Amino acid sequence: MGNKSSVLLCTCGKQLKLDFDFLKVQVSKLGLADSVTVHDLLCQEEGLATIENLISKNDGRVVIAACTNQKIQPRIEQYLRANGKDPSLITYVNLREHSAWVHEDLKEASRKSLDMIRGALARSAKAVPLQLEKKNIKNHVTVIGGGIAGLESALNLSALGYEVVILEKAGTLGGHVLDLPMVAPTGKSGKEILKSRLDAVEANSGITVVTNAMVKYVEGEMGDFRVHYIVGDSEKKSETLTSAIVMATGFKEFKPTMMDEYRYGKNPDVLTQLELSKMLSLGALTRPSNGETVKEIVMVQCVGSRNENYKRDCSKLCCTFAIDNSLEVLKMSPDATVRIVYMDIRVPFENEMIYKESREKGVDYIRGRISMVWEENGQTKVRIYDSLMNKYIETTPDLLVLSTAILPPEGITELSETMGYAVEDDGHIKDLYGKLRRTETRRRGIVAAGAVTRPQFVFEAVTDAQAAALVLHNELQGGVIQKIARGAVLNVDDCVGCSLCAQQCPRGVPLMIEQAEAEELDEDQKFLFKAAIDTLNCHACGVCQSLCPSGATELNFLTNEQLWDEIDAVLEGAGPEEPITLCFYCEECAVSTIDIVGTRRIQYPSNNRLIPVPCAGRVSIIDILRALEKGASTVMIAACEKDRCHAGGTGNEIAQIQVDVAQDILNAIGWKEKRVEMFRMFSAEPERFIKAIEEMTERAKKLGPTPVHDGTAGKWVEVTK
Amino acid sequence: MSDPVLVIGAGVAGMTAAVELADNGVQVVLVDRKSTIGGNALNLYKAFPTDDCFYCFEGNRWRPGIRKCFYRSAMIDQPNIELMTNTIIQDISGTPSKFTVKLVIGPQYVDPKKCIMCGLCVEVSEAFALESPQCQPQAVTYDPSKLDEGAKKAEQDCPTKAISLDANPSEKTITVSDIVLATGYHEMQPVAVDEYGYGVLQNVITQLELARILDPNGPLGGRLVRPSDGREAKRIMMIQCVGSRDENYYPFCSKICCVFALKHANIIANERADGRVSVVYMDIRTYDRHERYYREAREAGVEFVRGRISRVVSTEDDTLEITVYDSLLDKYLRFSIDLLVLSSALEPPEGLDEIIKTLGLKTASGYVGPADAASEDEVVVGEHVYACGGVLGPAEIPESVNQARAVVSKILQGRK
Repeated sequence: MGNKSSVLLCTCGKQLKLDFDFLKVQVSKLGLADSVTVHDLLCQEEGLATIENLISKNDGRVVIAACTNQKIQPRIEQYLRANGKDPSLITYVNLREHSAWVHEDLKEASRKSLDMIRGALARSAKAVPLQLEKKNIKNHVTVIGGGIAGLESALNLSALGYEVVILEKAGTLGGHVLDLPMVAPTGKSGKEILKSRLDAVEANSGITVVTNAMVKYVEGEMGDFRVHYIVGDSEKKSETLTSAIVMATGFKEFKPTMMDEYRYGKNPDVLTQLELSKMLSLGALTRPSNGETVKEIVMVQCVGSRNENYKRDCSKLCCTFAIDNSLEVLKMSPDATVRIVYMDIRVPFENEMIYKESREKGVDYIRGRISMVWEENGQTKVRIYDSLMNKYIETTPDLLVLSTAILPPEGITELSETMGYAVEDDGHIKDLYGKLRRTETRRRGIVAAGAVTRPQFVFEAVTDAQAAALVLHNELQGGVIQKIARGAVLNVDDCVGCSLCAQQCPRGVPLMIEQAEAEELDEDQKFLFKAAIDTLNCHACGVCQSLCPSGATELNFLTNEQLWDEIDAVLEGAGPEEPITLCFYCEECAVSTIDIVGTRRIQYPSNNRLIPVPCAGRVSIIDILRALEKGASTVMIAACEKDRCHAGGTGNEIAQIQVDVAQDILNAIGWKEKRVEMFRMFSAEPERFIKAIEEMTERAKKLGPTPVHDGTAGKWVEVTK
Repeated sequence: MSDPVLVIGAGVAGMTAAVELADNGVQVVLVDRKSTIGGNALNLYKAFPTDDCFYCFEGNRWRPGIRKCFYRSAMIDQPNIELMTNTIIQDISGTPSKFTVKLVIGPQYVDPKKCIMCGLCVEVSEAFALESPQCQPQAVTYDPSKLDEGAKKAEQDCPTKAISLDANPSEKTITVSDIVLATGYHEMQPVAVDEYGYGVLQNVITQLELARILDPNGPLGGRLVRPSDGREAKRIMMIQCVGSRDENYYPFCSKICCVFALKHANIIANERADGRVSVVYMDIRTYDRHERYYREAREAGVEFVRGRISRVVSTEDDTLEITVYDSLLDKYLRFSIDLLVLSSALEPPEGLDEIIKTLGLKTASGYVGPADAASEDEVVVGEHVYACGGVLGPAEIPESVNQARAVVSKILQGRK
């Protein structure tokens, strides 16, 4: 296979202000360019046909220098695939948004473009075709938790064609919903809501239910998980082989025994809202202390919620819970008095109407707090501070009902150790990305549905479960996974078993596998564990590659050599006369920001060169130092905003560490100034990129020649006294 | 081959449903009445709960879990999606699983598949504009009311011949198996709530209008100014529940306005020089983890007044003199304000009642209600009719996405 590429330059309908004659002549001179074609409209029918023609030459190596590949790549790939051609050896350079539209000076823009084309040619020279791969996996999903979310996801997955096992920790299915006497806004009881689902699960031969099952740990990866659990008190260990897992373990109601002010756990007439629900479901509203009828109830909102000591956030459901229960109380004994002590009543959408109904039916709302609870002559006494009237009220309720916080269920943290999902500060399972990817977790093949991620109303948990089923269906594709293997490939022979990749992969893909033959080797050569990476499970960020100490794992579309060659080629001729800033940008938020800057034609200095990487986490210390070694004056990484890494959440933090260490190394070898920096951005604020690039250009200018430029780098300089 | 699925409305929910269906091999007709899709989200600047861009989108199947910027979602290049912009539904007939839908397609002045955004037309004529650098489809729009000589020149010189100034409306009848309603919500224009002076006083605006002002990619480049005179706005007052929780307008809580308002309050208090914000409220409803916005607002020095506005008067220099009844202190307070921002109710979009009637659906306060309320299955609203996003009632972006996925899950199950 040769290493030359055909080069296509697009003039964007002759609208790009670049010196295409200069570019054509200069690119033709490059050794890696086989031919250079200038075209006016590559994205239109005739242009696409031109690309198709060229793809047949040079084994398919083509460098397309046009507008942003974020726009044209999908169209080009679709066209080529429809015509039976492989687009995987095309390398893109953005002449428009990254050069012509942002640099007025025709000459400078053309020179920047030329350098970036040279870089792309170097990257292209070592590109390898990506193959379509296929694997069969077991058509089976395990649902942990048999509450409303678990039942609904099991039914949906079954309808999508999967065999399902539900592992429920209790003796019966149904979870908390079983105990709800009524659910707003329909007013149906929890049992009624569950009935059709419980019947359907029972009638469905594709769904197996195991009750009294405690999940202990999980091994393996998507397509090949092994769930270990025990049933009942038995010591007997069971396991299930499965391709994916739904975490639907619900929530836990906070029991405020440590909050002395409410006397919960000491006074039997002080209950939680769910305890009242259970009582109402059984149809008996009496005082636990003496069995007498209940005539007066005080409910207190936000017990433990919106409280720095217990749960900082709002539990969302408790206001509606309290109103539901108070209406149920009034249904059972219309003469009862119900008072609700609150800070803010929070009832979304039509639940507001239930709130109104309860007011009309005489529920008394007091804005304030409980200041004291005590017992006197077998009675419960409560002192309430009313903040609207600015006065204290004393009352003697038969029941004091605490709307306590909704907390994550037991076992979330323990299971995260083997399941690999991330956990929120509040202990719930963390979404892969809060805005758009709710049911997905950090770990591929594991989704979370229902209250295990956040307090949810019944209908929300149902929707969550349905969405989670789709997410898994997208992943498992009915058991036959067929796709282009684009991602990390591990050369096991080079693996030194350090497990950095397994620890840091944002989606938990690499596994550490025990080496059976290790015993036979002598002490020096022995690796007890080595990594294994399933490229079809990889999402191609490159974090493992930048961390791998032995170069064992590499992205198959951007190997170390490819990136190093590109760095060398882009920086050809970079020197002290015109200091160059090399910018690695992630192809997520950074490329969007830089493209938007282009679309808005915001001008910035041109003495920088841009290199795309799939995620900032792909850039290693060596890549950064290499750029400096090859003549860059400053190096920057443009990445997603903090905590907003689009590659699963941690790629930009890995990049930050690489930058920090690179700075330390430079410091240690006497490069005192900060020539390397990391910048976070997103496209809604394009000025973030402008500020970053101006800062690094300024530093390059101010700091002057680097030791590389001076010829002093890497040499011992005699220290004079 | 099965008939396609019709998705009405190309906002967060509709686009998500369309893309998920298309990726699963289902043909989709995605219809939006505007030329630029994205719906309300397009104008949000920053979206909660992540406070980054208004919108991103799942890009490639080979990188699940990874999102693409909205403008890169390439809706027009998805082989299974037929995107029809500037199009309205005129009539739906037929039976479930075999609906006949009559579409009225407005003039297609600019062919989005051909437009390369080179900028030629925008330079020579006022009639062409780029709605937003992040618009989708990535194409200019044309306003025929601004037709000038330059427009004709642009039509002639357009490198891809994407412009057709004398384009005509047309009609098309299609057969679809399922209908997904994703027409979103509409922010009430509170002109009728006359105590606030909206529509009369220029410095009284809504939250969505404030989002446009704060957006660095918006018309003002992110400068917080008074619409009346372009002077910097420093004293901002927000009033919650305008038209919501109000028997005269909408009895329901619009659910997201508190978070919406506090997000803006925090941006102003933390990122704009000397920005001072007061929020007048009845109950602050920052559900769940959104409580963070309330905490941050208090830390940022945002002032909260529990009560109602009783009077708004504009002075000669366009400053607003506002009287507020504080129910905690039980007294009236006076404020001088540059900008009064109304957290206006989110109402069902125009034309929804007709669709509800035609399809015989249930309603929930004017929005679409579930077919079987007792099942708690919110996205199934009829036989082969589904709904997701704001059309089911005020919804956040993540909820809309979840609902869209639930819809797709249900449709795929129906096709098994």
